Amino acid sequence: MIEAHNLSKSFRDSKRGLVNAVNGVSFNCQPGQIFGLLGANGAGKTTTLRMLATLLQPTRGSAKLANYDVVKASEKVRQNIGYLSNSTALYGRLSAREMIEYFGRLNSIPEKKLQGRIDELIQRLEITDFQHGHCDKLSTGQKQRVSIARSIVHAPPVMIFDEPTSGLDIMTSQTIMTFIEQCRSDGLTVLFSTHIMSEVERLCDEIAIIHHGRVVSTGTVDSLRESTGEHALENAFLNIVKGANNA
Amino acid sequence: MPSMTKTVFLKEIRETLRDKRVILGVIIFPLLITPLLLAAVTFFATKKVIDQETSILPIHIIAEGQLPSLTDKITNDESFKVTFQKDRETSIKALQARTIRAALLIHSDAQTKLDTNASAQIEIIYDQANETSEAAKKRLRKALRNFDSAIVETRLSQLDLKPEFLKPTKIQETNIASKESMGGFILSTFLPYIIVMGAAFGGMTTAFDLCAGEKERGTMETLLVSPASRYQIVQGKLLAIFVISLGAAVCFLGGFLLPIQSGLSLFKEAIGDSISISYQTVGTMLIIVVPLALLTSSGLLAISAFARNQKEAQTYIFPFIIAILFPAMLSSILGAENPLYTAFIPVLNIALTMKQILSNTFEATYFALSLGSSIAYALIAMRAVTALFQRESILFRA
Repeated sequence: MIEAHNLSKSFRDSKRGLVNAVNGVSFNCQPGQIFGLLGANGAGKTTTLRMLATLLQPTRGSAKLANYDVVKASEKVRQNIGYLSNSTALYGRLSAREMIEYFGRLNSIPEKKLQGRIDELIQRLEITDFQHGHCDKLSTGQKQRVSIARSIVHAPPVMIFDEPTSGLDIMTSQTIMTFIEQCRSDGLTVLFSTHIMSEVERLCDEIAIIHHGRVVSTGTVDSLRESTGEHALENAFLNIVKGANNA
Repeated sequence: MPSMTKTVFLKEIRETLRDKRVILGVIIFPLLITPLLLAAVTFFATKKVIDQETSILPIHIIAEGQLPSLTDKITNDESFKVTFQKDRETSIKALQARTIRAALLIHSDAQTKLDTNASAQIEIIYDQANETSEAAKKRLRKALRNFDSAIVETRLSQLDLKPEFLKPTKIQETNIASKESMGGFILSTFLPYIIVMGAAFGGMTTAFDLCAGEKERGTMETLLVSPASRYQIVQGKLLAIFVISLGAAVCFLGGFLLPIQSGLSLFKEAIGDSISISYQTVGTMLIIVVPLALLTSSGLLAISAFARNQKEAQTYIFPFIIAILFPAMLSSILGAENPLYTAFIPVLNIALTMKQILSNTFEATYFALSLGSSIAYALIAMRAVTALFQRESILFRA
C-alpha cells in the first residue's frame, strides 16, 4: 500500500531561485491496483517517485509504503519496494546473473535461498541464454529483462515504475507492460508514472494528473473522460491541464 | 566489516578488476613499464656520461701572449681539438654557433708573470647554458690545475721547500656508510615521490568510475534505491578505491625493487651495486602509505561525488593534483632530517618519513607524528566524503 499525504519538495536553484518541484501531492494506492501518475515532462512525477523511493527527502508532507514512513524508516521502505525507471541502468562489467545476485545480497536474501531465487527469475524472464554475458553487451530488451529481475529479486510488495518504457522499442515496451500487469495480478501495489496515454488506458486502475508539481485531477480513466466530456484521454488530459493553468 | 559494506566493496573490486584501464594503470604499467623506464633513463644517463668523458671537444686557444708550456700541453691532449685564434670576438661567435665548446685566452704578459713568480692571467670563455661547453670548461680547468701543480712544485723546490709547505693540514675522508645504506640513500631521493604519486593517482580511474561514472550511466539511482544505506555504499566504494590506490603504490614499489633485488646489472648501475631493502623496510613503508591512500581515496571520491560525470570530474582534478604533486616534489628536494612540524604537513610528511626509512635516518617520534596526523587527516577526509554523499543536491545534480 502507498499513502502520500501533502508531499512537497522544494529546492534552491542558482538560476531559478526557489523551485517548488512538488507541491502538496496526496494519493492512495492499494494492493492489486495500478495507480498512474500522468503528467508532462517536468511536471514533478519523477521527484514524487524519488521521494517515495527515499532517494529524496520531502520538504513537507509524509508518505508511507508498506506501512513504513519514507523518512523515519527509509531502509525498511527500500526493502519493500522494487524501483524501475528509464534511468536505472545496469553495471556493464557484471554479467546478468551477477547483477541479480548483487541486488539479492543488497536485499539481504540469505545465500542458501539466493541462488534458487536467481534461477527462478532467470527462467521466468527468459534470461538463461545470456545470463553469463556482461550487461554492456546485451540488447536493450535483454537489459530490461535483467532490470526487471533486479527490481523484483527480493519479492517486494510495492513496485514503482518511473516512465519505464521511455525510449524503448515496441517489443521491449510490451515486455515491461506485461510485467506490470503481472505485478497487479500477483497482488502487488503498483505506482506507475508516464506521459504516454495508451499505456495509462491499458494499465491504470486509477490516475492522478500532475501538473506544475500539483495533483490537478484524480479518478479512473472513464471518470476523467466523463468529467471533461472528451472521448479521447489525450483531450481529457489537455482540458484538465488547461483548466489548471487558467485557475 | 558490515555485510552490506562488504557486498558493495566486493562488487566494486570485481567490476574494477575487469576494467582494462585499471589493470593497465595499476598493475601492468607500474610493474612492467616503470622498470623499463628506469632502464631507459639509466641507459641514456650512462651514455651521456660516457659521451662527455670520451668525446673530443673542439676549443680555441686565443694566444695574445706566448705560453708554450701550457699550449703544448693542451694541444697534445687528445681530448681537445685545438685551433689557434688571435681574436676574442671570433671565438665568442664560434662558441655561440657551437662550432667550438670553449676558448682559452692567454693574456699577453702571461709568460712574464710566470717567470717572475707572479700569476699569469688566463681566461676560460664558455657557455654555461650548454652542457658540452660546461664539460669543456671542466676539462680545461683540470688541465690548468695540473699545469699549476707542476709550476708550484718547481717554485717550491727553487726555494728549497717541500709541497707540504702549502698544505698545513692533510685531510682524509672516511665514509662510514655501507654500500647498502648508500643505495638506500639514492633510492630515498626519488622512490617516495613515485610511491606517493602511485598511492594518490592509482585509484583515480576507479574513483571516477565508481561515482561520477555511475551517475553518468544511471546505475547510481539503481544502487541508492537498494536497502543499503548511503553510509554503507560510500564506505564500500571508498574501501575499493583505497585497495586499488594501495595496490598501485605496492606495484610501483615492486616495479622498482623487484628488478633491483633480482640482480639485473642495468638497474644496479642506476642506483649502486649492492642495493638491498629489507622486508622490514618495505613493511614500514607500506604502513605509512596506508593513511595516505585513505586520504587520497577520500579526496578522489569527493571529487567524483561532486561531479556530474567523469569528464567533469577530470576538470575538478587539477587542484587535487597540485595538492599532491607539490609536497611530493618538495620531498625530493628536502633532506631526510627535518623539523618536527613537517610531520603535520599532509602528503609531505609521508614522503619524508619514507625518505627517513630508506636512508637509515629513521626517527620514531617523526614516524609516530607523521602516522598519527595522517590517520587523523584520512579520518577527517572520510567523514567529509561520507557527509557529501548524504547530500541529495550533490548526488542528484542536474
